Amino acid sequence: MKKYPKILSVILILLLTVTFSPLAYAADKKITLGSKNFTEQYLLAELAAILFAKAGFKVNMRTGVGSVIARKSLENGQFDLYFEYTGTAYTVYYAQKDPATMADPDKVYQWVKKADENRGLIWLDPIRFNNTYAVMMMKKQAAALGIRTISDLAAYVNTHPGELEFALEVEFWERPDGFKQMMKHYGFRLSPGQIKKMSVGLTYQALKNGQVDSAMGFATDGRITAFGFVSLLDNKSFFPVYNPAPVVRKEVLDKYPEIKTLLKPLVTNLTTDEMRTLNSIVDVEHEPVHETANNWLTGKHLIE
Amino acid sequence: MVSGVFQFIANNFPQALYLTGEHVWIVGVALFIAAATGIPLGLYITEHEDIASPIISGANIIMTIPSIALFGIMLPLLSPLNMGLGKIPAIIALILYSQLPIIRNTYTAIKNVPPDLVDAAIGVGMSRWQRLKEVEIPLAAPVIIAGLRTAAVMNIGIAAIAVYIGSGGLGVYIQQGIDRAYPEMILSGALLVSILALIVDGIMALLERAITPEGIKVRKKLMQ
Amino acid sequence: MKKPLGKIYRTLLLAALFIAGIMVERIGLITYLTDPYEYPIILGLLLRHLYLVAVSISFATIIGLAAGIFFTRRRFHRYAGVCMYIIGLGQTIPSLAILALSMSFLGIGTKPAIFALTIYSILPIARNTLAGISAVPPSLLDAGKGMGMTPLRILLEIELPNSMQVILAGFRVALIVNIGTAALSYLIGAGGLGDLIFTGISLMQTEKLLAGAIPVTLMALLADLVCKLLELILISKGLRLTEQNKEAA
Repeated sequence: MKKYPKILSVILILLLTVTFSPLAYAADKKITLGSKNFTEQYLLAELAAILFAKAGFKVNMRTGVGSVIARKSLENGQFDLYFEYTGTAYTVYYAQKDPATMADPDKVYQWVKKADENRGLIWLDPIRFNNTYAVMMMKKQAAALGIRTISDLAAYVNTHPGELEFALEVEFWERPDGFKQMMKHYGFRLSPGQIKKMSVGLTYQALKNGQVDSAMGFATDGRITAFGFVSLLDNKSFFPVYNPAPVVRKEVLDKYPEIKTLLKPLVTNLTTDEMRTLNSIVDVEHEPVHETANNWLTGKHLIE
Repeated sequence: MVSGVFQFIANNFPQALYLTGEHVWIVGVALFIAAATGIPLGLYITEHEDIASPIISGANIIMTIPSIALFGIMLPLLSPLNMGLGKIPAIIALILYSQLPIIRNTYTAIKNVPPDLVDAAIGVGMSRWQRLKEVEIPLAAPVIIAGLRTAAVMNIGIAAIAVYIGSGGLGVYIQQGIDRAYPEMILSGALLVSILALIVDGIMALLERAITPEGIKVRKKLMQ
Repeated sequence: MKKPLGKIYRTLLLAALFIAGIMVERIGLITYLTDPYEYPIILGLLLRHLYLVAVSISFATIIGLAAGIFFTRRRFHRYAGVCMYIIGLGQTIPSLAILALSMSFLGIGTKPAIFALTIYSILPIARNTLAGISAVPPSLLDAGKGMGMTPLRILLEIELPNSMQVILAGFRVALIVNIGTAALSYLIGAGGLGDLIFTGISLMQTEKLLAGAIPVTLMALLADLVCKLLELILISKGLRLTEQNKEAA
C-alpha cells in the first residue's frame, strides 16, 4: 500500500509525457500534407514532404483517405495542402459536366482554379500528366474478344449478358465520373452480381489472377504494363482530364508564400513516364515510398 | 516470407517506429481518458445501484457495435466540429469501447470488498472518502487494473482498423499492404501490433501484481 | 426513488430515438433505403454478410468445440496450456490483418474471408470450452463413471451440459466479433455490409454509412439477444438456478 502512490505517480508521469509529447514539435514553420489512398498520391505527398522539409518546414502527414474526405479536410483546415486532380474537382466537387471544358487541360484547370479561389483554396501550377481512370483488361483477353474501346466492351456486355465481371473500388462506383455513370454514358449495364467491390489496390490483383474480366485502374499506374494489361480507349470521352496540382489553403499560402515556388521542380520534371516509373517501383518492386521519392529527387538533382 | 518480414522492418525502421509511436499514442491517450471517466463512474454506481444496471448495459451495447461502424459514425458526427478525421475520432471511439471493462471491473471490485472490512472501517470512524481511499480502493485496485489491462489489449487491436478514418498507426501497414499486394508489409503490421499487445499486457500484469496489497498476496499464497 | 428515475430514463430514451429518427430522415437514409435501384443491392449485401457470418461461425464452433474437448481429454491435457497460449497470441493480431493475410494467400473473394473469419472465431470458443469442461466438479465425473457411463456419455450428459454457460459466453464473444469483422471483408472483395460502410466513409455519404453501420450493429445486438435465448434453451433449469444462487451468495 505504501508503494502505491509512487507507482501511480510514475504511471501518471509516463502517461502525461506520452500524451503531450507531440507538443514538443512546436517548430517555426509547420505544414500538414494530406493524400488520398493510392500509391501515386502517397508518392506525390512524399515528394512534397521532402521538398518542404528541405526548406525548413516541419511536415505533418495525414495520408490514406478517400477523395471526398481529403477535399473536406482541406476545406476545414485539417490539411494545409494536398494534390488534387483537375478532373476530379470539376466533376465531383463541382458536379460539372461540360464536355468541352472537361477535355481541355487548360480550360478545366482554369475553371477549378477560379471556382476554388472563392473558397479560399489556391491551385498552384499543375503537373502535366493525365492520371485518368483506366478501364483495364488482360491484353490477351481483350484481343481475343476484339475489345479495344469502352464502346466495344459495352457492346460485348450487351450481347453477352452475365458473362463478364468487373472489379472496382467503392469510390469509383459512386462518383459522378465513376462506373455507374460511365455505364449510363456508354449504354450498358452490369448486374450487381457481376460487380466485385474491393480495396483500391486489389483490382489489379483480381484482374491479374483472372478472377474478373475487367477492372478499374489509374492510367499512370505501373502495374498496367507490368501485369500485361491494356487500357481501353475512352472513345466517348466520358472521363475528364485529370492533371494533379497542389491545392493549398489561402491562409497557409499567405503565411508562407515560398510554397508557390517550392513545388515547381515537380511540375517541370514529373512527366507521365516518370510518374509511371515511380509508381512501378513502389507497387511492383515493393520499394518504400520515402526512399523512392528521395532517390528520384536526388537523381534529378532537385535536392542535395 | 518470415525473413522478408524482418527485412521489411529493418529496411523501414524509422517509419515502423513512427507508426508504432502513433499507435501507442492513440491507445495511450484513449486509455488515460477512459480510466478517468470509467473508474469514477464505476465508483459512482456502487453508491447508486438503480442506475448501475442501465449504465453497464449501455456500455455493453456500445461494445457490441462493430468497430468499423463506430469509427465510421464518428465522421459525420464530428465533422461539424472539424474533428471527423484523424486521431481524435479514433481516440473517442476507443474511449467508448473501453468503458465496459473499466466500469464493470471497478463496480465488481468494489462490491466484492468483504463487507466485514467495510463494517470495520465504518466502526473505526472513517468517512466515506476515507473508507474509499484506505480500504476499498486498495483492495479493489488489482481488479480495476485488470479491467484497464483488458481495455488496453483490446484497444491495441482495434486501433489498427482506425486507419480507415485517417488515424495513422500500425494499421497503415495493413492498409497499404493490401493495396500494394505486399504480404510482408501486412505481416509486419500484424506482428508489430501483436508484439505491442503482448508487451502492454505484460506491463499491466506486473502492475496488477505490484498494486495488490501485501496482505492479499500473502493470503492468496496461503490459500493455494 | 426508483420509479421516477425509471420514468425519466424512459422519456429520455424516447426523446433520443425521436431526434435520431429526424436526423436519419434529414440525412436521406430513408430515401436511400427505399430507392428501387439500391434496395436490392442493399438486401444482397445484407444476405452476403449473413452468409459470411453463418458459414464461418458454424465452422468455428465445430472446430472450437472439438479443440476444447480434445484438450480436456486426459492424454492431451498437458498440451492444453501451450496450445491455448499460442492461439491466444494469434488473437492479438488484429482482425483486419488476418483478413489481409488470408487474401495474400488465398486470393480475393468470399473464400479467404470465410477462412479468416473462421480462424478468428475459433479461439474464444475453444478457450471457453476448455475452461468450462475443466471446471466441471470431478465428483460429477466420478458419479458418471460410477453409474457406468461410457466416456462419450459422460461428455455429452455431464461435461458439456455443465460447461454450457461458459461455452455459450465464448460463443457469444466469437459471434459478435465475427459480425464486426465481416464488415471489413469488403476490402478483400467479399462483399457484405462493409461495402456500404466504406462507401459512406470514402465519399462522406452519411446515408450509405448508416445504411451499412446500422444493420451491422443491429445484427450484433440481435446476436447478443439470441445468445441469451440460447442460454435459456440449452442450460437446464437446475443448473441455471444453481448459478443464480451461487452469484447471489
